[in-house]
Amino acid sequence: MAIAYYPGCSLHSMAHEYDVSARLVSERLGIDLQEVSDWNCCGATAAHSLNHKLAVGLNSRNLNLVKDMKLDKITTPCAGCFSRLKTASLELKDPAMRESLKDLGIISEGAETVQVAHLLQVMLEEVGLDKIKQNVVKPLKGLKLAAYYGCLITRPRAIAQFDDPEQPMALDNLLQALGAETVQWSHKAECCGGGFAASDTAIVVDLGGQILEAARQAGAQALVVACPMCQANLDTRQQAIEVDRARKYGLPIIYFTQLMGLAFGFTPKQMGLQRMLVNPSQLLALHS
Amino acid sequence: MAMVDYYRPLRLNQVDSSLQEEIKQACGVDVELCLECGKCTGGCSNAHIFDLTPRKIVQLVKLGDEKRLLNMDSLWTCVSCQLCVDRCPSHIDIPRVMDYMREKARKKNVKAQRQSIEIFHDLMLDSIRKTGRVAEAPLALKHNLRTRQYLKDADLGRRMFFKGKLNPFAPKVKNVKQVQDLFAKTIDKKEG
Ligand code: SF4
Ligand code: SF4
Repeated sequence: MAIAYYPGCSLHSMAHEYDVSARLVSERLGIDLQEVSDWNCCGATAAHSLNHKLAVGLNSRNLNLVKDMKLDKITTPCAGCFSRLKTASLELKDPAMRESLKDLGIISEGAETVQVAHLLQVMLEEVGLDKIKQNVVKPLKGLKLAAYYGCLITRPRAIAQFDDPEQPMALDNLLQALGAETVQWSHKAECCGGGFAASDTAIVVDLGGQILEAARQAGAQALVVACPMCQANLDTRQQAIEVDRARKYGLPIIYFTQLMGLAFGFTPKQMGLQRMLVNPSQLLALHS
Repeated sequence: MAMVDYYRPLRLNQVDSSLQEEIKQACGVDVELCLECGKCTGGCSNAHIFDLTPRKIVQLVKLGDEKRLLNMDSLWTCVSCQLCVDRCPSHIDIPRVMDYMREKARKKNVKAQRQSIEIFHDLMLDSIRKTGRVAEAPLALKHNLRTRQYLKDADLGRRMFFKGKLNPFAPKVKNVKQVQDLFAKTIDKKEG
């Protein structure tokens, strides 16, 4: 199964381990991820915050490149990129929007037909839990995890069209298929502060702190994420959160693809687990 | 931090429907459908630090109080989490209205109360304008310089460096001209 792959800027720098693990587990499952050639940044929060047409234009260029590759589907492991791409693809269904992009030099005819899916969605809907289970050689027995979805994988429902935004279960089901236990908790779909980690750290410390506290109270040993921004906020700001709340959390923040890889028999090193700031090694020793 | 004015009723001293109409045309959002149920504010991730909460923002659009909307701190502290629109029984897309008003604030040269957020957006767009992509480490560094927080996150930066998390090389799109054209014809376009 060939799908166009959009890593996004984070996966080419800070979240390198997410990129590597996503590619390795996809390959194992027979998904042929073909990186979109010459892709540009989705514009993240900045573009849509300041200029709507620019945001749609940037993402239309990427959707066009998928058409040029003769593929009809694009996937990304980043919740932010997913939301921007999918929003643009829905906006492009409006002929007036397509017309208005013409004077930007973006020929978007056909780009609106490219399907957009988050990588988690591909795992559940295209690969399926049965096939994933068949590939598990080292079940994640004894791990108690909090599946954290954040905002944009499921919200707003009119755009994401995936899972239930109030009580999402996709990631829980996936982790259970890998042999782990997932906790029931209150902050699955609360916001981590998104792109504000550098620009207004207090917001991320506040919102991220509520999430870590809820995960701790539910008895989770780690949080599992499907977005490089969620990972960065909860991992790199965890020390500041610990100071703010005068409590030690020590909760590793791990990508779902890293755990899939471990269950499939890849080593922690191959999955880049040594790159996480809150060290998950203690937790993973439980599993080895 | 701005004073939160949850308990002060809005004064209905100004009713002008032109803004409401403008937002309906430009964003396809009809605030007339608001039931004032408050679900948006109840769910909002950041209502506890907003100077004006989402339900009030919708009311201000109805009242045509553009001045307060362009100057409010919430315009910049909204994290675009989409909770409000997802829970609204009338599907009123508040984050889209926020984007629209922010764009308008920029056109009218109304500066954000929280400069650091606006500066961050600008630096990010600068990076995309130049290379088509964003390199996180140089972006964070530039932001520290521009906001004069020279030592901010120095220790975090050191820890991340040793984990190999900081990639100092700026990636570049080959056909960056196409991306630059997009900027020239949208956000960089002079009005008139
Ligand atoms: S949730 Fe929707 S209908 Fe209810 S107050 Fe907010 S904008 Fe109005
Ligand atoms: S998108 Fe903005 S206004 Fe809406 S709930 Fe999130 S922070 Fe609040």
